[in-house]
Amino acid sequence: MRCREAFLRFAWVALAASLFVGIPARAQNPAQNWPDRPVKLILPYAPGGATDLIGRPWAEKLSQAFGQQFVIENRGGAAGAIGTETAAKTAPDGYTFLLTPNATLSILPLLRTTPYDPVKSFLPVGRVGDIVGGFVIHPAVGPKTFKEMVEYAKKNPGKLSFGSAGLGTATQLRLEMLKWRAGIDILHVPYRGSADALNDLLPNTVQMMNEINVLPHVKAGKLILLNINYSQRHPDFPDVPTLTELGYPNSDVPIWFGILAPAGTPKEIVDKLNAKIVEIAKSDDMKARMQALSVVLPLQTPEEVAKHLEEDTKRNADVIRIANIKLD
Amino acid sequence: MEIGTLLANLALGVSVAVTLQNLGWCLAGAVIGTAIGVLPGVGPVATMALLLPVTYLLPAEGALIMLAGIYYGAQYGGSTTAILVNLPGESSSVVTTLDGHQMARQGRAGSALAIAALGSFFAGCIATLAIVVAAPPLSRLAQQFRPEDYFSLMVLGLVFAIVLASGSVLKAFGMVFLGMLLGLVGTDVNTGNTRFTFGISDLFDGIGFVPLAMGVFGIAEIIANLTNRERRDLATSRVSGLLPTREDIRRSVAPVLRGTFLGGLLGILPGGGAILASFSAYTLEKRLSPTPEKFGTGMIEGVAAPESANNAAAQTSFIPMLTLGIPSNAVMAMMIGGMMIHGIIPGPQVMEQRPGLFWGMIVSMWIGNLMLVVLNLPLIGLWVRLLLVPYRLLAIAILFFCCIGVYSLNNSANEVLIIAAFGLFGYLLMKLGCEPAPLLLGFLLGPMMEVYLRRAMLLSRGDPLVFVQRPLSLAFLLLAAVLLLFVVVPTVRKARERAFRDGN
Repeated sequence: MRCREAFLRFAWVALAASLFVGIPARAQNPAQNWPDRPVKLILPYAPGGATDLIGRPWAEKLSQAFGQQFVIENRGGAAGAIGTETAAKTAPDGYTFLLTPNATLSILPLLRTTPYDPVKSFLPVGRVGDIVGGFVIHPAVGPKTFKEMVEYAKKNPGKLSFGSAGLGTATQLRLEMLKWRAGIDILHVPYRGSADALNDLLPNTVQMMNEINVLPHVKAGKLILLNINYSQRHPDFPDVPTLTELGYPNSDVPIWFGILAPAGTPKEIVDKLNAKIVEIAKSDDMKARMQALSVVLPLQTPEEVAKHLEEDTKRNADVIRIANIKLD
Repeated sequence: MEIGTLLANLALGVSVAVTLQNLGWCLAGAVIGTAIGVLPGVGPVATMALLLPVTYLLPAEGALIMLAGIYYGAQYGGSTTAILVNLPGESSSVVTTLDGHQMARQGRAGSALAIAALGSFFAGCIATLAIVVAAPPLSRLAQQFRPEDYFSLMVLGLVFAIVLASGSVLKAFGMVFLGMLLGLVGTDVNTGNTRFTFGISDLFDGIGFVPLAMGVFGIAEIIANLTNRERRDLATSRVSGLLPTREDIRRSVAPVLRGTFLGGLLGILPGGGAILASFSAYTLEKRLSPTPEKFGTGMIEGVAAPESANNAAAQTSFIPMLTLGIPSNAVMAMMIGGMMIHGIIPGPQVMEQRPGLFWGMIVSMWIGNLMLVVLNLPLIGLWVRLLLVPYRLLAIAILFFCCIGVYSLNNSANEVLIIAAFGLFGYLLMKLGCEPAPLLLGFLLGPMMEVYLRRAMLLSRGDPLVFVQRPLSLAFLLLAAVLLLFVVVPTVRKARERAFRDGN
């Protein structure tokens, strides 16, 4: 009996104390102690893909940096729209973020109505990786360099086929950009993911691709890397020129990954997270792990990411309009 | 292939399969397989469907080694129940009940069990060897396959699935077709249009294979079992003397050899597998026997042949899955599901890109078979006791794991609803006497066929003649046409029906 009374009294005191102390403290500055519980990172694709491969090291490094678990939640479906929507609609309390490739932000919304607005629904936090890849061609076709490939395509319009990871994906946009800039005709063949396309590239059923999963086969001598689709060369293929070097400026549009917060997340939290992202991106360990995936780490502030997203969207919109890419 | 590379491959396989971890997964698969084999009403397809999401947590090698173990483990366990209780623990051991249980009644249960296990072991070893020899050249050939070849091969596969389905041809056809329709749900690869999604974004990527398989096989089977009265406490016969007599062994040698050969052959065929193999082997023995009238009264041949055949077929049905990425039956469809969960696209490239996985799995099959002989013979009393666990308790546990498993795949509550809906649907199908296996094959092969058809047409710039210009594609199509003709010819149809009736 006495025990119970004591407990009740304690409960009252605790409740009163929390009313007076706890709540105002929270309202004052939620960002100060952030993060004081685990943080969720939503990945809008199934486990095992490129986003997952890039996201997991980031979750690990951020957990170490903040002393709080960054937990990955894979929410795949509808070309990334489902997970992106989930992130857009969660409470902007600094405990849920989205880690996504640019496709869900600067491509998908241009092709289909999405249940989120890539600009209004999110606050960019940081850029967490750019893919460094390029066009490859099967050696049986003949051309050994980018220039020879363009000449071949001009002589044989529509004879080359290009396998992409799917309709409306970043790699299809690469191809359409190439066709438009070089003035050549190549048949686009959509696959379900890049692994599927690679199966048809190796026996020369399709002749070209532009994905990072082809690079090991380039090293093995089974495919030829024609160029790099990035502002700098690939450290593993130092002799292969970028598109700009080949005379096609502004065509090196990378596939990039970013971490974004739902709109309304306190600015302090966004800045705090960005600072750590930049710090981690500078570390040699992270650079090495990302280079193994053919990913480089540009350092950007939230404002720079937002500006980059805007430019990327504009550039993709041009390509989509010129190539007349349509989904339903 | 030279002996040298073959040995090198096997050595690589051994190095993967004989790690403590993978031996553990192999044992886990064998134990689970035996357990569900012993229990009537829980099949390997359902079990594998239920365990698929769990395997995501394992490394790919461990996951596939375990899943494979469940399949061939079930072939061992199924015979135990068939012989001792006169209930097929597994549909592939239906024919074993005929003579096996009669032997048990005559006090020769030990002999029947031993012959069943040893015959299975022998068949397992030979079939594993067959995979080792046949897989590399086949997958090299398959690497030259173009989309039109794949398309025609799948046409052939679906025709086989219809011809070899045990029930009515019309129902099998209907199920394949329904499966294909379900497979069409989602976003079309070539145009990006969404089909049959009703604007529900969860359906944009189509119906998931795991929820569908779990619902139609797992949940539906549980519902069906719960509506049946339990009738398992028949397990009373005592087992004594596990050593077969010299006479039994002598009479079993030829049937085991024939069963292994026939089963191994039928396992490779699309639509084939363990069930068909055991039926055919039994029928063959009856035909060849000088005393066919004695079958059904406790003939050891009637145990030896089908038990070897079902295990050989269980093993060789891995060949088309491993080399072509094409499932020949529902279990292999599960294996493909297991690979895809780990981001491995099944196909001829698996052997080159993941040689450790490929050869490790094959070596693990042989190890698993060895484990199963040890597990099954001395421990038989333990397995029989499993039959005393009331099904209503098992059912709850299975349902529970099922829901957690499906939810954890995509953290999506809607997928749990999807398995519930497909569970009811599967139960309805069962009541209507429609087999769900052709449905699953149609579901998996239909969209693949569509993709290959349209890809072939795209690459040929719209010329449909590619399908008959490529010799491989033409051969597959002709074979499919001949098979279809056979089903329509009345005499052949009667023979087919008789073959299935013989078993029942």
